[in-house]
Amino acid sequence: MKKIKATVIDYGMGNIWSVTSALKYLGCEVDVSSDALMIEKAQILILPGVGSFRKAMNALISMNLEAPILNAVQNRKAKFLGICLGMQLMGTKSTEDGETKGLGLIPSSVEKFSSAEVADRKVPHIGYNQVHFDSDENLFKGISGNQDFYFVHSYRMLPPDWKAGVSTCNYGVEFLAAYENENIFATQFHPEKSQTNGLKLLDNFLKA
Amino acid sequence: MLKKRLIFTLLYSSGLFMLSRNFRLQAVGNLDWLQRNYDFSRISNYIDELVVLDVTREKRNLDEFCEVLKSITLDNFVPITAGGGVKDVDSARKLLRSGADKIMINSAIFNNSNLAKVLSEEFGQQCVVGSIDLKRSRSGEFQVWSEDGGKLNDVPARELLKRVLKESVGEIYLNSMDRDGTGQGLDLEILELLPERVSKPIILAGGAGNSSHLMVGLEDSRVDAVATANLFNFIGEGLKEARQELVSGGIVLPMWDLEFRTMHEKSRPHSLGSHE
Amino acid sequence: MNNLFWCNNCLAMSTRPRITFDSRGFCNACVWSETKREIDWKSRDQELQELLLKHRSREADFDCMVPVSGGKDGSYVAYTLKEKFGLKILCLTVTPPLPLPLGEKNLRSFVESGFNHISVNPDYEVMRVLNKTGFEEMGFPYYGWLLAIQSIPAIVANKFSIGLVVYGEDGEVEYGGTDETSRSPIFDSNYQKRIYLENGYDKVISASKLTESQLALFSFPDFGKHTKASIDLTHWSYFENWDPYRNYLVAKEHCGLQEADLANSGTFTNFSQNDQALYALHTYLMYLKYGFGRANQDASIEIRRGAMNRDQAKNLVSLYDGHYPEEFLNIYLDYYQMKKREFDLVLDRFANKDLFEKLNGKWMPKFEIV
Repeated sequence: MKKIKATVIDYGMGNIWSVTSALKYLGCEVDVSSDALMIEKAQILILPGVGSFRKAMNALISMNLEAPILNAVQNRKAKFLGICLGMQLMGTKSTEDGETKGLGLIPSSVEKFSSAEVADRKVPHIGYNQVHFDSDENLFKGISGNQDFYFVHSYRMLPPDWKAGVSTCNYGVEFLAAYENENIFATQFHPEKSQTNGLKLLDNFLKA
Repeated sequence: MLKKRLIFTLLYSSGLFMLSRNFRLQAVGNLDWLQRNYDFSRISNYIDELVVLDVTREKRNLDEFCEVLKSITLDNFVPITAGGGVKDVDSARKLLRSGADKIMINSAIFNNSNLAKVLSEEFGQQCVVGSIDLKRSRSGEFQVWSEDGGKLNDVPARELLKRVLKESVGEIYLNSMDRDGTGQGLDLEILELLPERVSKPIILAGGAGNSSHLMVGLEDSRVDAVATANLFNFIGEGLKEARQELVSGGIVLPMWDLEFRTMHEKSRPHSLGSHE
Repeated sequence: MNNLFWCNNCLAMSTRPRITFDSRGFCNACVWSETKREIDWKSRDQELQELLLKHRSREADFDCMVPVSGGKDGSYVAYTLKEKFGLKILCLTVTPPLPLPLGEKNLRSFVESGFNHISVNPDYEVMRVLNKTGFEEMGFPYYGWLLAIQSIPAIVANKFSIGLVVYGEDGEVEYGGTDETSRSPIFDSNYQKRIYLENGYDKVISASKLTESQLALFSFPDFGKHTKASIDLTHWSYFENWDPYRNYLVAKEHCGLQEADLANSGTFTNFSQNDQALYALHTYLMYLKYGFGRANQDASIEIRRGAMNRDQAKNLVSLYDGHYPEEFLNIYLDYYQMKKREFDLVLDRFANKDLFEKLNGKWMPKFEIV
């Protein structure tokens, strides 16, 4: 059986090791790349990310990766998964440190959890929390019972207007936990840190 | 609903994993021993997070530590925090590229360096965990020590904690030096040092020997997570049994579908646990 | 083996000599640890004061003698008697046959922390013969030294006109065995011979073929005959809640006690019994005879003090107990002047065949802890 091949985008920010480990565990062939050409040609792309939105966008731009990513996703319809900051980068913009424009692949902006939203809850949102998803969503196929995934973030995106492909999590406010639309997938939580649920989800993504 | 967390802390020193008792270290075994007796790729199903600290008292070797970190984190799909002598962004970055998701800093917080700020600007505040070691003075007052428990900080503990809570750290890891490794239970009185309203997640550590100790910690509303570094007490099936006891005792912790892993691992061509 | 069972609370075994169990299946050590929480220690304090008064009235430079090794237990007793009770104490160590560097360091630190101390070194060869005889006759590899720490303190105390010798704990009461001394503070040489020396004193002495003058320090003179008063032997564990872990913490804090870098042979702790190489052999023989070794004892102590539960202890014991002390083997063979085959044959004789079978040259347990 031919092995599935995925390309993890390395732009200097993100827990490449963990994501790569998880993919390899699932039997996937993994390329870690910051090469524009390679990324543009990839069939399956994964954008991890930990840290500042602005720094991340600046890195993508300075490494000339913004265009290749958009090209691969929008024109060649490569399968794309953004994780955590990676998902946030797919948004329209972020208000962290002033305003920064994102990739625009998800129609939602990135803002900090406000004290009004979270009330007594602590920020950053750290730990396992339940995700509310639709059972016919590709990402969550076969996941029932325990719906916990690992979150670690201070910024969130709110669900865009239409509900299809949108999964949420409640932390005082129902925020966007996962998104899927045709070839575009994203999770605010870390599937590579969410034990068996995360592994299943990654497996679903690879096979979608 | 956000769940509470059970954290296991691994203390590493020059190739060996250690048991600490009141900050005195006893070598327990190397990576091989850890694989055989702790098999983290299996055991990680029973913990919510793993902390790996380089507590080497002599000169630390970051590259070596990173290699060990990679081995430990292979096939482990839990959040990993790494730390021990982190003094700059480059070290932090190396750790993050070796499997760590979060960085723990301790002495750097008290050295007047702005490391916490720099790290959170670079990697995000949620990526930085501030660790504080506390010991009681002869009169019973808590005091903060840094540099592996070697340097006393004159500022009263309550005041210091307030300051740290304002720093650019995402979580606070409170460790009792008096209870460390004793199996006498976590010191909940440490929590009295916290202000009424705490905006960051609090992890309590030091002294947990069995699941009842962990339970008492997790039941407290001021505690978001508990950590144990007791390599002996939780050996073999210890972590699995502890988790089951916590869940039956009413603590809400995620329970994972292990069948997926078992089935998946059965069908894999190469052997599990190999780490080239 | 029929009727083999374990304490329902700790991991003590029914095979342990003189051990008893209550209706819940709790061994007497566990029952005692419960009892200790209810005991009126104040009344025992009263008894202690009376005992001290009795011996203080004699013209002596010291109120009592405390046998020590430099380890946590003796150090704790000495420290407590000196600092808390203000007594003038004389400490005594009988140098072990194969001392370990850490043990010697700890003894030095102990003495330097401020104690009057005598180190007694019985004739090396005499002790060696007694040890070897004890090893061969009774499977007690340091019988001579065990004997010496029973006999010598009283002998020396007598010379200094000290009427009271305060030992640490009675292992019978604290770890399982007869509970006679839990009700009465004073014990005597008959108890020592019957219990600590397992009734083997006469046998070993005669088999050793040593002369009376060679055995001068290994005898139990009847003091009542030769001096005005007798020597009282007592255990500190009668007067205060005995807590090995507390002893460790105090010894560490006040007497300079240092732990080993690694776990000691056959267990997971590093802060106990660091003074002599033969202890590992002693506990290995204990394992072969009865099925429990050092790790089992240490784990049971941990259970009783609430640090771990029984299942956790089982995990540890299955990993650490019953370790053949190969790291000391050459030292043992050299000391006993034996070849390995001869040495192993002695071990074979004492292995309980109901509990163990030899597989590939190793004694393997036929039982599993329940």
